[in-house]
Amino acid sequence: MEMFLMALCITVFGVGVAAAAFGAATRSEHSDSPERPQPQLPLVKAIAPTRFFSDTVPAPPAMPTRQVPIEVLLLQIENHVRMEQAAAESFLESPTQAKLHSKTNSPFVN
Amino acid sequence: MEHELLKGLSSAEVKQVLNLGTRRNVPARTTLFQLGDRADSLFLIERGRVKLTLPMRVRGGEEDVFVEERAPGQAVGWSALIPPYRFTLTATAALLDAEVIALPREALLKYFSGNPAAAYKIALNLAVVVGHRLQLFQTMWLREMQRTVEVRSA
Repeated sequence: MEMFLMALCITVFGVGVAAAAFGAATRSEHSDSPERPQPQLPLVKAIAPTRFFSDTVPAPPAMPTRQVPIEVLLLQIENHVRMEQAAAESFLESPTQAKLHSKTNSPFVN
Repeated sequence: MEHELLKGLSSAEVKQVLNLGTRRNVPARTTLFQLGDRADSLFLIERGRVKLTLPMRVRGGEEDVFVEERAPGQAVGWSALIPPYRFTLTATAALLDAEVIALPREALLKYFSGNPAAAYKIALNLAVVVGHRLQLFQTMWLREMQRTVEVRSA
């Protein structure tokens, strides 16, 4: 019985010491004194002024990072314009809604 | 060769109009006129092809972007007949040399005042050319807008 009580006292004492040590270790993180200067926080990014329609329009899709040479890009634009002109000519010959909105195979927009 | 602006004119009238101009050779890839230049002459294409371009900002630089190509029998530079007489596009001979007949505005207007019947036909032909260009680019504009709308509402 005495042994049991001694073991119990030692255990309770140990738990108390552990709790005190834990409290001392974590106190500096939670209890900053009011005199201590506050660290400079990064400024919050200013809110951009509301623009016409800008709140309802999703951001455009990101451009591919791999860029084609400028000559190739200009050729793509030229081919696209030629294809669009051909589509427009076709529409003007016999105007229908289907021809007006016919899909293009132009790689510039696909 | 039949020129689109001279359709319906008698052969004598065509000859009179062509005699107002001067033939000009435009080497391949050289400029016939630049956007913003004074438009004092309009040009009838006799040979070769003429590319019309507009400047566009591409990757921080300015590039001439293809707008349209005109072939023999067609005309370019009708800004010479429409105020404020400034070219609104840049015209360049395409891959091969081109030959054009440059018709000065002053000479044309003088001819028109003395030949109203021919002037009427030329004006109608010009209206067809301008009207077709308008309809063509109106259609292209709408198709581009349609794509923009589809992308934005996706």
